[in-house]
Amino acid sequence: MLLSVSGSKAGLDVDLEVAIDADRTGDAGVPHGVELMAFATAANRRNEDLPAARAALKAVVGAEGLLEAAATVAAFNGLVRVADGTGIQLDPSMLTSTSETRDALGIDLFGGAANSVGAPTKQRFEADGTQGLFA
Amino acid sequence: MGNVEALIDQAIRAGQKSLAAAGDWLTGEQRLAAALEARDARTNELDLARRNALSPNAVSGKHRATEHLPVEAVEVLHRIASDPGRLTRDWANDMIAALGEEVYTELVGIAAKTAALDMFAWAMSDSDATFRTSGDPDRGEPARHRPQTVGDVGAWVAQSTGSGMANVSRSLSLVPVTNQAWVGLVQALYSRGDGFLDLEWKRALSRPQVELVAARTTAELECFY
Repeated sequence: MLLSVSGSKAGLDVDLEVAIDADRTGDAGVPHGVELMAFATAANRRNEDLPAARAALKAVVGAEGLLEAAATVAAFNGLVRVADGTGIQLDPSMLTSTSETRDALGIDLFGGAANSVGAPTKQRFEADGTQGLFA
Repeated sequence: MGNVEALIDQAIRAGQKSLAAAGDWLTGEQRLAAALEARDARTNELDLARRNALSPNAVSGKHRATEHLPVEAVEVLHRIASDPGRLTRDWANDMIAALGEEVYTELVGIAAKTAALDMFAWAMSDSDATFRTSGDPDRGEPARHRPQTVGDVGAWVAQSTGSGMANVSRSLSLVPVTNQAWVGLVQALYSRGDGFLDLEWKRALSRPQVELVAARTTAELECFY
C-alpha cells in the first residue's frame, strides 16, 4: 500500500505485480526499479547474483542509496518475523483499503492471512488524528 | 562517514550489543545463544527440509535443547527464522504454553533482530553480522517486568492497548527491553520517526524506491502483513 500511495504522490504509475513477482520483468514504474528489485531479490536469497546486483545498484543510486536499500531489506527481514511470529492482524485501514489489491495479487493466499480473518475494520487513531509507525 | 551511515552504524552496533545483554526474561547468555540458534536456521538440515516440504508438519524430527535453551525455545527460534510465513496460531499456542507468553515474545524479537542484522551485513558485504561469540556475555539480570498496559488486541500475544500505532509497531510491547532495542534498530534502518508519515522522503532513495525494496522483500518472505 505504501508503494502505491507514495508512487501516486510522486506521479508514478506503479506496477505492483512486477514489484512483488521476481519472475516478471520491468522497473515496476519506479526509477531504477530494475536495479532495486534485483538487489532486493539477490540479497534475500543470498545468491551468487548479489555482488553484481550490489554493484549495479550502487552505479545508479550511489553509495548512500545502496546503504538505504540494504537497510530497508534488513528492516523488513526483521519486521516480517515480528509480524508473523506474534500473529498480528492487518491494521483496519490496510484491511479495508487493500482488499481488491490483495485478492488480485494473490496475497490473501499467504499463510499469515489467517490471522486477519474477522479483524476489526474500524480505524484507530491517536488524539492528533494520525496512525504512526515507530513514530 | 555521512549522517545516514553514522546513524545506521550506531544502530547496528547497539543492536549487536543488545543481543548479548540481559533482556526482559532471558539472560545475556541465553539471548546470545538464541541469536546463534536463529542464525543456524538458515543452514540447518531439519529447517531446510521443513521449508521445502508442502507442510512443515510433514517432516519428522525435532530440534534439541541446548545448554542455555529448552527445546521449545530452539523450535521457536528456528521456525521464525526459517519459515515465518507458515506459522500458525495452534503452533504458537503450544510454544507459549511451554515457554510463557513473555519468553515466547522475547524470542520472536531476538529472531527478528538477528535476521535484520545478518541481512544488513549480507546485503552490504556477503557475510553475517558480528556477534560476541566468545568471552562473557553481560552478567546483568533480566528486567522481569510485564507492562500493565498490555492486553488482547487480536494477536497471538498480549500487546499495548489503546494505541493508535500500527499493529507491527506494538507487536513486541509485551517485552519492553527487547522492544526498545528493536524499535531503535527499525527507526535507523527504515522509519526514522515522524518522517515516516511523509510520503516524499528527502533521502538518497525516494519513498517509492524504498517501498519498492520493501515490497519485493516481503513478497520474497511471503508475508501477508
